[in-house]
Amino acid sequence: MSSNKKSVKKNVDNTNRNLAIGMILFVVLVGAIFSVVSNKSNSHVSVPSAVSAADGYGIVFNKDAKVKVDLWEDFQCPNCRNFEAVAGNYITDLTRAGKIKTVFHPMTFIGPESILAAAAAACTVDDGKFLDMHLALYSNQPTKENSGSWTNSVLKLIASGAGATNKSVSSCIDSGKYVNWTKNVEADAAKQNVNATPTMFINGKLVDQAHYLNLDALKADFAAAGVK
Amino acid sequence: MTKTDSRFSQVQPWITFFGRILLGFVLLLAGYLKAKSPAQAQMAVRAYKLLPITIANLFGLSLPWLEIGAGVLLIVGIAVRYASVFGGALMFLFVLAISQAWARGLSIDCGCFGGGGQVAAGHTKYLQEILRDCGLTLTAIFLYLNPHGKFGIDKVEGLQRENSPDTKERDEQ
Repeated sequence: MSSNKKSVKKNVDNTNRNLAIGMILFVVLVGAIFSVVSNKSNSHVSVPSAVSAADGYGIVFNKDAKVKVDLWEDFQCPNCRNFEAVAGNYITDLTRAGKIKTVFHPMTFIGPESILAAAAAACTVDDGKFLDMHLALYSNQPTKENSGSWTNSVLKLIASGAGATNKSVSSCIDSGKYVNWTKNVEADAAKQNVNATPTMFINGKLVDQAHYLNLDALKADFAAAGVK
Repeated sequence: MTKTDSRFSQVQPWITFFGRILLGFVLLLAGYLKAKSPAQAQMAVRAYKLLPITIANLFGLSLPWLEIGAGVLLIVGIAVRYASVFGGALMFLFVLAISQAWARGLSIDCGCFGGGGQVAAGHTKYLQEILRDCGLTLTAIFLYLNPHGKFGIDKVEGLQRENSPDTKERDEQ
């Protein structure tokens, strides 16, 4: 087979081949550029009033409190649910009492249903129900990720169960008003090198991985930062 | 390699074909799964703690598309030699990256087929990942040495160069 082809060698026509290679390279280039551009933060997206660009597009509570707590989580992440079960009440109480500046960064890397959940949670912020919605989402976390359990109609039920009964909340969820905002949160997570959920910073200091499911250790971390 | 060995020359086109399909589909699938969840693809690269954050994120976003391109080239059989050099170098790079993560005691998922980022200690699969990528590196080397096989577009109607020493040199220019 090898030998009888030698004759063709001299006048090979590579035009079609090069055309095909060129087309594939073009698709690769366009895909990569699109990917980079579309995952950039966009300052024109609509955000709830409590979201601050200076805090990485997180949802901010008690913006003037001295101790700042950044909480990075994904509503579909099982470890975040465990974390909520262990420390959720403690952090919520501190937040409600105004003792800490709490910045929630709902990440969405686990997939489409994380995006829907985060966007729905953002819809409850302006009604003052985010903390309840936050808890309600973890209580209703599906056992399997992206299994089709979290649709907008299910999320509306969860929201109204959490007390966000305003019409504006359900229309906000239906219209996907804050879907694009979730990209900004992810873009900031990429900048801040957040590679796991849950991840918590107290005054910019990363909380030890082993402390998330250990309330006493967590309380000690908060105490060390001056939270009583 | 062994042009004189007639048995090898009979089997080689088939090995090349299956090698192309194997490496091509692995790359295509890996690229597709990563391109579909760009946030996690970036996270996966960052978790190796090898590159500066901005570069790691850029790499995480563009790598899936390069994998898709190389995968398509291998499957249809165009520019097999270039694509296998790229695929092989990539697999070898993964072996190095995973090994250093293992050696440094990081707990990460390789993120090879989507996923990635930190995992709980004891949930790592470093050995399997390294062995798999070593196998794919060897496949790529075989394809580089024997780029012409069954059902490859490169071979049809003399569209593509001959697998002889002098054209090998031209390939590398």
